[in-house]
Amino acid sequence: MDKGLIQQKLDNTFLRRALKNFAAAYPVARAKAFEGMDFEELRGRIANFKGAGLEQLPALVERFTASAEKAGAQVHLCTTPEVANRTILEIIRSKNADFLVKSKAMTSEEIELNHYLEKNGVSCLETDLGEWIIQLAGERPSHMVMPAIHKNKEEVAELFSRETGRECPPDIPSLVQTAREALRSGFLAGQVGMSGANVAMADSGTLGIITNEGNGRLVTTLPRTHIALVGVEKIVPSLSDALDIIEILPKNATGQKITSYVSFIKGPTGGDGRELHIVLLDNGRLQLAADPAFREALKCVKCGACANVCPIYELVGGHVFGHIYVGGIGLVLTPFFHGFDKAEEILKLCIGCRKCNEVCAARIDIEGLIVDLRDKIRKPFGQKFLFGTLMKNRKLFHAALRTAYLAQKPFQGAGGRIRHLPLVLNRETANRSLPPIAEKPFRDLVETGTGKGTGTGEKVLFYSGCLADFVYPEMCQDTVTSLEKLGYTVTFPQEQTCCGIPARYSGEMEVARDMARINTDVLLEEDADYVVTICPTCTMSLKHDFGKLLADEPVYVEKARRLAAKTFNFSELAARKAGAGSLGPETRGRSKTQDAARSTVTYHDACHLKRGCGVHEEPRKVLRELAGVEIAEMEECDKCCGFGGSYSIKYPEISQEVLKNKLENIEATGAHMVAVDCPGCKLQIEGGLEAAGSAVTVEHSATLVARRIAEVKVELET
Amino acid sequence: MVEQFQIAAEAVGAIVKRFTTLTDAAGYVTSAVGVTTVAAPNLPPAVRRVLPNLTLAAPADFAAADAGISVARAGIAATGSLLLELSDPTDRSATALPPVHLVFLDATTIVPTLANLAGLLEENLYRPSPVYLSLTTGPSRTADIERVLTIGVHGPKELHILMMEGDASWTRD
Repeated sequence: MDKGLIQQKLDNTFLRRALKNFAAAYPVARAKAFEGMDFEELRGRIANFKGAGLEQLPALVERFTASAEKAGAQVHLCTTPEVANRTILEIIRSKNADFLVKSKAMTSEEIELNHYLEKNGVSCLETDLGEWIIQLAGERPSHMVMPAIHKNKEEVAELFSRETGRECPPDIPSLVQTAREALRSGFLAGQVGMSGANVAMADSGTLGIITNEGNGRLVTTLPRTHIALVGVEKIVPSLSDALDIIEILPKNATGQKITSYVSFIKGPTGGDGRELHIVLLDNGRLQLAADPAFREALKCVKCGACANVCPIYELVGGHVFGHIYVGGIGLVLTPFFHGFDKAEEILKLCIGCRKCNEVCAARIDIEGLIVDLRDKIRKPFGQKFLFGTLMKNRKLFHAALRTAYLAQKPFQGAGGRIRHLPLVLNRETANRSLPPIAEKPFRDLVETGTGKGTGTGEKVLFYSGCLADFVYPEMCQDTVTSLEKLGYTVTFPQEQTCCGIPARYSGEMEVARDMARINTDVLLEEDADYVVTICPTCTMSLKHDFGKLLADEPVYVEKARRLAAKTFNFSELAARKAGAGSLGPETRGRSKTQDAARSTVTYHDACHLKRGCGVHEEPRKVLRELAGVEIAEMEECDKCCGFGGSYSIKYPEISQEVLKNKLENIEATGAHMVAVDCPGCKLQIEGGLEAAGSAVTVEHSATLVARRIAEVKVELET
Repeated sequence: MVEQFQIAAEAVGAIVKRFTTLTDAAGYVTSAVGVTTVAAPNLPPAVRRVLPNLTLAAPADFAAADAGISVARAGIAATGSLLLELSDPTDRSATALPPVHLVFLDATTIVPTLANLAGLLEENLYRPSPVYLSLTTGPSRTADIERVLTIGVHGPKELHILMMEGDASWTRD
């Protein structure tokens, strides 16, 4: 990705403010729109009928075509953008027309219709206000629902002044009035009108069009020929399915309960030689629908919610985060609609926080598809040694990490943290200090300390994850201490290795599979009751990814299922034993040694814990009932901290902006400590706070529980 | 349900007036809204009778009319939406071009949610002939410049819903 373009967007104060304001307003409006409704049930239904429809998409296309033709429409199934463009040009020419008046259609952007028609002597007029603005500016939409969100009123005024030849002040109501007047003549003069469609119903051949401005009704009415350009994936079996989409789309898109206009168009109405041409666009969709690994992407209803909640989109906008289609699903659809070469770089922009999955109207695993696509388009290069040789060999990998302990020494400042890395890596430490690799990883400490599995309680295998093992061994020790105090018998299997996520996120699926096999074998060798992790990314990997990665190996499918069933995050398991006196009868109430200020923390939800594992109440229970602290919740507590593993190294400029937002929210609570359940979040947030000179500290929940145990012990002894 | 409809419709900028007789509603149209020339190609005879002084614009002049007048087939309480049957293109122009849109709504046709409208929609869409239906909710709006909500971009700037709570069998004539 063009780093210059990213920086340009990050430096664009209007864009940043506009997107930030929208990101703040959107969840509130959306929640209000869905009030009293069961969002999960509704999107579950949509996921089901869209999924079933896609499995038999060619048949659905046939049914729709038959129904629409019966109603008098002319249906043209076009395989490629070239065919679609030519078909549309021919329809326009057959009417002896040289002018097309349009309402909004993303499919038209997809096939670059305006460009093609203008080249062939047909002028086009976009009448959706946002589309008209970007048509005048010669740009492409930066959002699927709000195409001109990146333009401020001054820029719009300048464009309108140039177009109308009179001075337009940068006043929004008057600019809207200017558009109304300027575009009216276009509607009235239009010989052929074009629209898209939000949904197409196979049972009746009806198109559903959802708009706000009223231009949709005008372009389908005043010109006597109406062309609707519709992606084939928009076809659903029946009217009731379409109503679900009409119900969810405006709420998810803009937080409106419904838009001003929803039109149901079946056939050409009005007689008198009027024509309705439905141009069904394939452009790779039928092939994608036949691909079980990626067909899910076509469930998309194009509401744009994935962009609305994306922390990266919020920083850089749709001209960076996407191609024609933007936001999370834009990243997924681009390789299929526009080629893998267009997608390679943008696919790397996702930080993996899964916010999009949470709001997707069709419950698409957008983040999962992005990760899988990286594997599909991966090109072998320098990462081959890292993933191919080093990580596959556990002893070699761990030996390399030990060597790194020595190599980092010259860069450590007072307190041992790394503040400046040499040369090219320096940007990485610009706004965040890094913790050093520990002299002795946890795996070496186990030899001499606890975690050796003696005891009679339920048996826990502790899977630490690399970051905690090599950077935060004390966090591992605190986990063992806490679990043992809660009555578990804890063992640390020495043969455990990396969970494979770094390899998977870099598109190295073979390596990830190797890791999955090794860890599955190691963690099932002993007949333990639980496998406990303290890194949510590892938890997600063990619980969800191993089964998926090893789906073609029946023996491992079964093993992965067994492993998944007994894998828990620390807080999840600890919460089961939470309650007054659960660390012993003496721990009721607040510790005497804790003053009020110290005992209030704010909690940051790790992306992979909340959205990867569905765990968010348990950590709070652990903090209140086991660690004995109060929680002052921060704004956007479940928004990404900007770590994203290697993301913070690939895109430090973006990562640091995401972090900045997190730090502001933390500081606003007044808490002196941030509790987390993820070593990656700790690394990121702690580094940011330290670089900013803040006194706020970051601790893993396990550490806070262990600290409470130690305090109680001191109190009992004195 | 009538109250719920009114709250939802007003929340999106529609003006809702409740009448028990057509004569009262007619008075509102002429005095309060003050229209004289209207785009109303398929006005029910009963309305025409109580509004004899209105000038009916020819379709070519709809853009210059004071208001469009139509009759809703149903309403949705949850969203304050109106179901309009607009298969005649002149009805579409009449409800889209003038700056004001007046809609008569029989209060007894209001259903709770969009899903409750499925039967009526099916009845219309499963007919063999071409059909154009519209759910209209509030006036025309946009937020395309700096996300600032602005009313009346291409369609009507005002939507007046004349809710008929007395005998409204005439709406089906």
